[in-house]
Amino acid sequence: MIPAALVPAMPHLLAGDPADSWAELAAGSRTVGDRLRAAGVDTVLLLSTQFFTVLGHQVQCDDRLRGRRTDENWYAYDYGHLEHDLAMDVELAHAWADAIDAAGMQARRTRYDGFPVDTGAVVASRLLDPQGQGRWAQVSCNLYADPSAMSAVAAAGVRAAADLGRRPGVVAVSGLSSGLTPRWIRPSEDRVEPEHDRWNRKVLDAIRAGDREAVLGMREQFAVAAQADSQFRAFAFLDGSGAVDRPGEVLAYGPVWGTGAAVVWWGES
Amino acid sequence: MARVFHATAGSGRSAARRAPRTEPAPAPSAPGRDRGGIVAGYLAPHPPHLVYAENPPQNEPRSTGGWEVLRWGYEELRRRLKQHRPDVLVVHAPHWITMVGHHVNCVPNPRGVSVEPIFPHLFRYHYDFRTDVDLAEAIVDEGAKAGLVTSGLREEGVRVDYATIGALHLANPDWDIPVVSLSANNNPYYYSDASLAEMETLGAATRAAIERTGRRAVLLASNSLSHLHWDTEPELPEDMSVERPFDHHQYAGDMELLRVVREGPTSRLRDAIPAHIEATSSETKAGSLTWLLAAMGWPAIAGEVLAYGTVIATGNAVVEWVPS
Repeated sequence: MIPAALVPAMPHLLAGDPADSWAELAAGSRTVGDRLRAAGVDTVLLLSTQFFTVLGHQVQCDDRLRGRRTDENWYAYDYGHLEHDLAMDVELAHAWADAIDAAGMQARRTRYDGFPVDTGAVVASRLLDPQGQGRWAQVSCNLYADPSAMSAVAAAGVRAAADLGRRPGVVAVSGLSSGLTPRWIRPSEDRVEPEHDRWNRKVLDAIRAGDREAVLGMREQFAVAAQADSQFRAFAFLDGSGAVDRPGEVLAYGPVWGTGAAVVWWGES
Repeated sequence: MARVFHATAGSGRSAARRAPRTEPAPAPSAPGRDRGGIVAGYLAPHPPHLVYAENPPQNEPRSTGGWEVLRWGYEELRRRLKQHRPDVLVVHAPHWITMVGHHVNCVPNPRGVSVEPIFPHLFRYHYDFRTDVDLAEAIVDEGAKAGLVTSGLREEGVRVDYATIGALHLANPDWDIPVVSLSANNNPYYYSDASLAEMETLGAATRAAIERTGRRAVLLASNSLSHLHWDTEPELPEDMSVERPFDHHQYAGDMELLRVVREGPTSRLRDAIPAHIEATSSETKAGSLTWLLAAMGWPAIAGEVLAYGTVIATGNAVVEWVPS
């Protein structure tokens, strides 16, 4: 069984003066990092919905993603300025791209100086791997492909890892409901609106119960009713890894600037 | 290829964050030859393929061309733009997506390399341009006075997006006219709802700022039209043998909108734009076109379509409106 997790994407988790929910979500993400290391994971197969694409499936093939990101939304805050340094498992990245092609999809190998690493990947890497000792393989989230394609992409990643003898973990970086509060707020004012909160909890209840079919079955409705982040392609991706047909442990749930966010862990049973 | 978005132009939920809808202000009188004001507005689509096809020195990838009809339309736009002798180009672009409020780039000299994460093989553009800071700050101020959530970006280091650069480069590859760039306050990727009424307010605030500062301004709405497209691309991106509309419905939707554009007056577009968004998932959902026409006061004129063509199946038109 492959360890897997869903973690939030918003940079508020790195705030110096966070809301309670931001701090709890950050702590949950750090716990996931501890568990991935304890599970002996060699490389994390990473999907961040903030690395969204529309043509094919981009696989990051740069060996080191190092730099400073000034976020185009949150530049006025401390968490809008993000140092990052991710070591990529390039061998696995190329094998993953090959496996995507072999599955009849279009892989796009991405290696460009100055490529803007997305905020979600930066936030996740900072919290899951604070010492910067882990290795990553990242694929984009194609918003124009059918969501089921993300499932096939994850499966291709798992096959590629197995072929190389890697022990993978699978992490999807995504929010739940995305109804962002459209004004500047103090952290203490952060809330998820009731209807979106109800949907988030419904989805998380099904995840806790290990009912993947129920989650997949409600995904489209969730997307429409609660503006689910990228139509909740994150769960389709996790499903493709084979990791979510067992109960998920919800380590944290709460608002991030009005959006819903959760940390969920699927460990080895 | 799949249709993944179905977003209506606004919803009950979004109504709560809109500025109250008001009757439009009277259309401003057309500026004289040497007076300030908005002297022209252009629908200026930004597909990075068009910049790639032009092979400018600022862009690293090399092409063999492609999408010529749209690029010829931009050639004509450039010729006309120079005749307007603007002090400033003001662009609203859908790929500087801001989640909270309408942001205006107030950095005096944005510069850097914009590697587009979706099209990095086509667009790695070295930019270095001047902002009309006085006008940028005035738009922030007027927007806030009109009740909008606004923010002035004054931090160096934020990468300028390809929709801003693309429209500006294609309209003025010499980059010899100062710029003001505005963000799109929405997120088309999360079933988020556009707030076209709010774009009316932003347009009016933009106009007020232009008049206050006495600038001769040309406005650029950096939007494509119908927006369903392929989710893969050919080995040679500029292989025009595979370039065509996504389907007839999308093409017909674009033609219906352009019919209204060509017939005028622009006030008819107040209904036609939301209908077009509903029919074709148009990128005008991001609000750029509504902003432009609102800033011009919905003038009682027709637009002139300089070119139409598809890019990876999306519809794109280069259109000019000149106040009479």
